[in-house]
Amino acid sequence: MKESLKQIVGDEYITDDSAICYSYSRDQHWNFVPAKSPACVVMPGTREEVREILLFANKNRIPVIPWSTGINVRGLTIPVHDNSILLDLSRLNRIIEINEEMMTATVEPAVTFGMLMAATDKFKLRPAFPDAPLTVSVLANNYLRGIYQTSSADGHDHTLSFEMILPNGEIIKTGSRAFSDDMPYFRYGVGPDIAGMMAASPGTWGVVTELTLKLYPVYDLQQAYFVGFDTVEDSMEFIRNINRDELVESCRLLDHHSYITGLFGTFDYDYEKLPEFVACILVAGIDGIFQAKDTLVRDHIGKSVGVLLDIPEKLRTHFREETLAGSEKSCMVFGVRGNYHCIGIYGPLTHVPAYWELHKKAAADAGIPADHVYFYVNPIGRFHGQLCYVELDIFYDGADPDLGKKIQEYNRIQFPRLLDAGIYGWFRPYAGIIEPTLDRIGYQAELWKKFMEFADPNHIMNPGKLF
Amino acid sequence: MRSEELKRAIYRCGKCKLCSITTFHPARDYLPLCPSGTYYKYQAFYAPGRLEVLRGILDEEVGNTGELLKIAYGCTLCGACHEKCKEISSIDLNHAEIFEDMRNRLVGRGILPEAHREITERVRETGNAYGVTTKKTYPSRRSGDTLYFIGCTSRYREPEIMDSMIAVLEAIGEEFSILDDETCCGSVLFRTGQRDAARELVERNIRAIEESGAKRLVFTCPGCMMTFKKNYPDLGVELLHSTEFIAQHLNDLKVRHLGMNVTYHDPCHLGRHLGIYDAPREILNRIANLHEMKRTREQAWCCGSGGGVKSAFGDFALWTAGERVKEAKLTADVLTSACPFCKRNLAEASDGMEVYDIVELVKLALEVQS
Ligand SMILES: Cc1cc2nc3c(=O)[nH]c(=O)nc-3n(C[C@H](O)[C@H](O)[C@H](O)COP(=O)(O)OP(=O)(O)OC[C@H]3O[C@@H](n4cnc5c(N)ncnc54)[C@H](O)[C@@H]3O)c2cc1C
Ligand code: SF4
Ligand code: SF4
Repeated sequence: MKESLKQIVGDEYITDDSAICYSYSRDQHWNFVPAKSPACVVMPGTREEVREILLFANKNRIPVIPWSTGINVRGLTIPVHDNSILLDLSRLNRIIEINEEMMTATVEPAVTFGMLMAATDKFKLRPAFPDAPLTVSVLANNYLRGIYQTSSADGHDHTLSFEMILPNGEIIKTGSRAFSDDMPYFRYGVGPDIAGMMAASPGTWGVVTELTLKLYPVYDLQQAYFVGFDTVEDSMEFIRNINRDELVESCRLLDHHSYITGLFGTFDYDYEKLPEFVACILVAGIDGIFQAKDTLVRDHIGKSVGVLLDIPEKLRTHFREETLAGSEKSCMVFGVRGNYHCIGIYGPLTHVPAYWELHKKAAADAGIPADHVYFYVNPIGRFHGQLCYVELDIFYDGADPDLGKKIQEYNRIQFPRLLDAGIYGWFRPYAGIIEPTLDRIGYQAELWKKFMEFADPNHIMNPGKLF
Repeated sequence: MRSEELKRAIYRCGKCKLCSITTFHPARDYLPLCPSGTYYKYQAFYAPGRLEVLRGILDEEVGNTGELLKIAYGCTLCGACHEKCKEISSIDLNHAEIFEDMRNRLVGRGILPEAHREITERVRETGNAYGVTTKKTYPSRRSGDTLYFIGCTSRYREPEIMDSMIAVLEAIGEEFSILDDETCCGSVLFRTGQRDAARELVERNIRAIEESGAKRLVFTCPGCMMTFKKNYPDLGVELLHSTEFIAQHLNDLKVRHLGMNVTYHDPCHLGRHLGIYDAPREILNRIANLHEMKRTREQAWCCGSGGGVKSAFGDFALWTAGERVKEAKLTADVLTSACPFCKRNLAEASDGMEVYDIVELVKLALEVQS
């Protein structure tokens, strides 16, 4: 295998050294995805090389795991099978185009959010940011449908089109890209939405080599508000109103000492003195619209039962940067207790208080201490269906195997309970959620498998990650 | 460090890789920070991957593979990853110390680069890391409370630094002594995991310093100073870097402004490991026009020569220095540092740029005046 791959990428970019392979064997989701090394790591430098590697692997039925930046926090790039090729795409790191006119960017897999923001900033444009570190791949995030982002106003879907190489070497171009590489700016070209069908998949169809995404304007006029609530219920009306009226650029409801540390960028603040829940709000816009929105938001704050919090300017600035210029400190969730676990779901705001109760209950049932239990709600515009991304978080000491077992138990009991309570969807497919879900989605599961079978009949693409 | 402590640190790593870049906000520059990962590219060469390999070593799942030497020793121990990580993960151990411990474990299994073995041999035979047998003698100085500990690199490879420091000490009017028979402080052995081999040197130096009666040690080499601080028992003497000492006496020195546009490269040992950032800048602001590089202070890009990299992985060391020189050229005309290792490696990659240690510039400022 090494010799054949060497022919494709050259000596320097293929290794089967077991120590190097070992460094890809585990991420922070080790309680759910056991460590396993790939047999080799290969770093293609061009899409042609990606294609040749896929053809070789397909012919020889060798599992391939696409890896763009490897920070997915769900064990999605940890091999399931022996003798796998880890396809490290980090050399494919070109920003192919920033189109100021079209408000789009086209990127290769290893372009990170930080790299892209550094390049779009001068145009006063930005991508939609996940609450993930700036070091994650823009392409992988968008392709995985990382649609729970720091700015609710950006809405839901940022992917316009992409190019994917299938295991048989065929190249698929989605949307308007199918007609012309020069016009990759529209999601729907002809026929079904292939991009939509293939997205949200952990590398199980093929390898995406280029993706075009939307960029959003950066406004100079910004104002942050932090509104404290004693209970989740108390905040609901306020959150609903400001999102329904589309007044805010960003809106998150957080418990008072978890993700908020990242938004404020410091552990060194007396978080205990804050009310139990804090709505973190950012108003932004062009002159005229900004002032109008700001007045209305203040009005809503005044009418709410929440308390407007006096937060130091430095922390407010940090919140603005994290929200609209790229999240850098969200990883502080690791620092609270050493590791973080979450179940991420989509659901309506109306269900949010129930999710919180379920979260506390399942954690207690699994024996997880109450002070390890946290909450994060991110409404997503536009607000039809009152769409929210909801994260049921547990921050814990990752070195404690006993807590690890309790968290496994938490997942086991919580997945069916959430499905019973009613959710819109899981934030992405990963270990543990597929099993309890399949028998609830009827023939869709069969169809999904059949499509995958069609694209990857030899089952080489990250096998074992879904079914 | 005990295995359990190391494991705890390893389990703190969420693999976010923020340690591979400088802080993004507010400048919004996306700049690499980890020389090893940037150069060697594979995950194993970034802090999160290296931690994972250490896990494999502790669990005896990783043996002596072809690349293990490079993974364990192809890291400058610059500590830049730690500066970033500690803000995020509240890890209690320092990455540079963790990686040093990793080496110590490998040395225990006989796994170390030939170049490092040779250094130990040279130190054993000659008392200095370069194996120089012709002893350098100085006008014997045995007076005063201050002892200038020169260190192998200033003594045998970058003597301008030593000469400049002596001139500056004289200009200050400080009574000082120098050890005629100075022995390597052991820094390079500690950094390359050869702790046992270093112990004898520590003992020799302790004896020599106690005999000298010095109350203060002044170093031009931050590597030596760090070793005295971290690896030696408390000798009850004050430890000062040349830049600290000079900054304290800046008002006693008649120096003039050199009119140069300089930038300052923070040596890892001086900055990140000893926390000394301001003294060098105070001096430079007095004698030159100081312009900061983008990657500076806690987030300075390493010069590439630390951690035994220069001797074992010369190409990597030179590439790292070259990256720094490129950045320096975008910033100023002259590159300064405050460490003989940095000067040596940066000068080798300088591509025509002038490179000085700060004490050399201070001496120049004295000379110009006289
Ligand atoms: C603290 C923290 C907070 C986070 N918060 C958020 C958040 O708010 N929102 C959010 O969306 N995400 C969040 N994430 C997850 C992060 O966004 C993911 O890392 C990212 O979405 C994808 O991971 P990656 O870029 O590292 O891709 P990888 O880990 O490289 O890959 C992820 C998956 O995609 C597949 N894949 C990778 N590249 C390709 C390709 N070119 N073609 C086909 N398949 C490919 C892989 O095989 C794997 O299955 C968070 C992560 C952290 C650490
Ligand atoms: S910053 Fe810390 S937690 Fe993140 S990858 Fe680096 S070492 Fe791991
Ligand atoms: S010590 Fe320096 S070279 Fe080594 S992993 Fe950390 S940042 Fe990279």
